[in-house]
Amino acid sequence: MTSAESLHPPNRLAPRVVPYWIIGDGLTSIVVAALAWWPGRDYLADHWQQWSPLWDNILLGLCAGMLALALLVPPLNYVRWRYGFVGDMLLMRYGILFVEERAVPVRRMQHVDLSRGPIERLFGLATLVVFTAGNEGSAFRVPGLPAQLAKELRDRIVQMRGDGRL
Amino acid sequence: MLAKGHLHPAVLLLRLITALRQNAFPLIIGITVEEWFLVIAAVLFVMQLGYSVARYLTLEYTLTDEELRIREGLLHRQDRRIPLDRIQDLGFESTILRRALGLAVVMVETASGRGVEARLDALSRVDAEHLREVLLAARPASASTASTSAASASTGDVSTILSPQTQEPDVEWMIHQSSTSELLIRGATDMRLGAFAVTGYAAFELADQLGVVTQITPIATSFRSWIESLPPLVVLGVLAGLLFAVMAFGVITSTLGNLVQFHAFNLRLRGDVLQRRFGLLTTRQKTLPRARVQRVTIEQSWLRRLLGYAVVKADSAGGSRGDGQDTAGGWDVVIPMTRTHEAHALLPAMLPGVEREAFAWQPGSPKLIARTAIQGVLLAILATAASWWQLGPAALWSALLIPLWTVLGVLTWRNLGWSRGEAFFALQHGIIGKNFACVPTAKVQAVVVRQGVVGQLFGLADLTVYVAGGSPTRIPDLTIHDARTLQHELTVRAAAAAAADW
Repeated sequence: MTSAESLHPPNRLAPRVVPYWIIGDGLTSIVVAALAWWPGRDYLADHWQQWSPLWDNILLGLCAGMLALALLVPPLNYVRWRYGFVGDMLLMRYGILFVEERAVPVRRMQHVDLSRGPIERLFGLATLVVFTAGNEGSAFRVPGLPAQLAKELRDRIVQMRGDGRL
Repeated sequence: MLAKGHLHPAVLLLRLITALRQNAFPLIIGITVEEWFLVIAAVLFVMQLGYSVARYLTLEYTLTDEELRIREGLLHRQDRRIPLDRIQDLGFESTILRRALGLAVVMVETASGRGVEARLDALSRVDAEHLREVLLAARPASASTASTSAASASTGDVSTILSPQTQEPDVEWMIHQSSTSELLIRGATDMRLGAFAVTGYAAFELADQLGVVTQITPIATSFRSWIESLPPLVVLGVLAGLLFAVMAFGVITSTLGNLVQFHAFNLRLRGDVLQRRFGLLTTRQKTLPRARVQRVTIEQSWLRRLLGYAVVKADSAGGSRGDGQDTAGGWDVVIPMTRTHEAHALLPAMLPGVEREAFAWQPGSPKLIARTAIQGVLLAILATAASWWQLGPAALWSALLIPLWTVLGVLTWRNLGWSRGEAFFALQHGIIGKNFACVPTAKVQAVVVRQGVVGQLFGLADLTVYVAGGSPTRIPDLTIHDARTLQHELTVRAAAAAAADW
């Protein structure tokens, strides 16, 4: 194997992870932006002497920025996320500003978890979490997997560890 | 059944002293102020003592060929079984009081990551030594197979390199013995706040052992009111004097603290197990099987680098440097202070096989200098913009950040180097100090390549190597190609080693 190329993880996440991320993670910032604009702005305009159209614009800009981030980050994240098994290694590659490429030999995994939050369940998604020995940075997460696939992956890891073959 | 036993009866005396000390406060109040406090003190005292007696009577440890079993408890029963091949370390610790009574606390560590798994407080020293002897004699069967399989995991001749059982298990090799001058240097160059922590810890330990309760609050208050009554210039002088005194005090106390903590430090190798003994007030003894060593670092702060001295530390599976107890007790230190070249010469004692490794040092990418310089420019722009409306043109002084950051970049680049040998992987980094780290590739758990914003523009990446103990090892500013190649090579080796472990 040529080294650098073989480390490219082949698989993408399920596309419905995008709406899940928008709702799961982005919802908070959408709500905060909305609250800041509606009761927040009126309250400040009434009670703060130095309120001016300039501040109006700044606040509007901030709110728009937050909204844009909440809507833009999940698709970008989806485009960047790759994972997959290459040989007996689990590879992950993700991140927009900070790109991380992680490689974990399956044999080094101590245990495997599937985690499914309430919103995640609505979308039929699951997160695969694998742990290696050690205490710092020993958990590796693959989010946005279809529940069925996540189970298969988990079983595959357990099996690989069991009989030593794929 | 290899050994069986109970705690030493003198433990009851220790518990009695603890109970008395803890009840001293209600007792004093009971005598001087309110009489019914006496009742509380008595009840507490009897309860504590009863609990201690019950624990003492019920605790029993059994050592068999396969496991160490500790049973204790009357109402809340606990039965702990630790398989021998899971035991990482066996440590002894004895405070002054315990030493006077001929006792030692035995600490059993496993790889669970929680540090001490079981604590036997306390056995007679004879029993403790016996337990260790039996344990070490019983273990090699399991421990050494693990290490040979780890060795044969990597390719070819590596198995011969790592085979530790070539040495007679009964012969003890003295690897290092700290001289007083080395410890003096360690203390005098311990310029960190950590020095205060170490001394503070030692002093606290002493005070705690002697049962001293100091009351210094009134002194502090009177001192403050005295300061407030002085003219400003005198106050400044007093403050400068105080600062100097504090620094001098820091150096002196850290020297004393290090002398006390690492008194008569020695490191021995017996079979495949490293042993450390040290301490003046509290003596500590700790074993560290070489097969469990995950990483060895040689650390030099700038002052020590100037003097040519270094500290050697080792991470083992399960032990964590993050735990305050570990660092404060000096558990992770393998050699408290030695000449730099000697530290490097002693590496094979901790990482057998490293002596056959020809490390070809690779530099980091020179683009790292450009990256830090750009960071400096960005910082300078930010600082200027932030202070302009207050300082005016004087804010331009923050442009000095640019050359400063560039120099930092040059220094970092000059000190940075990495090397991947057959079975080991080494890194050195630092700005004015220098740190060297060596990791056996067979111990690698996972490898992560990380690129920041500027990193993506420049094609630079950080490589982080995770092992089962201690903090991860990070190499900054490799070219993305080097980082990926290294990641691939390391994980392939780790996977091969793991496959052989099964």
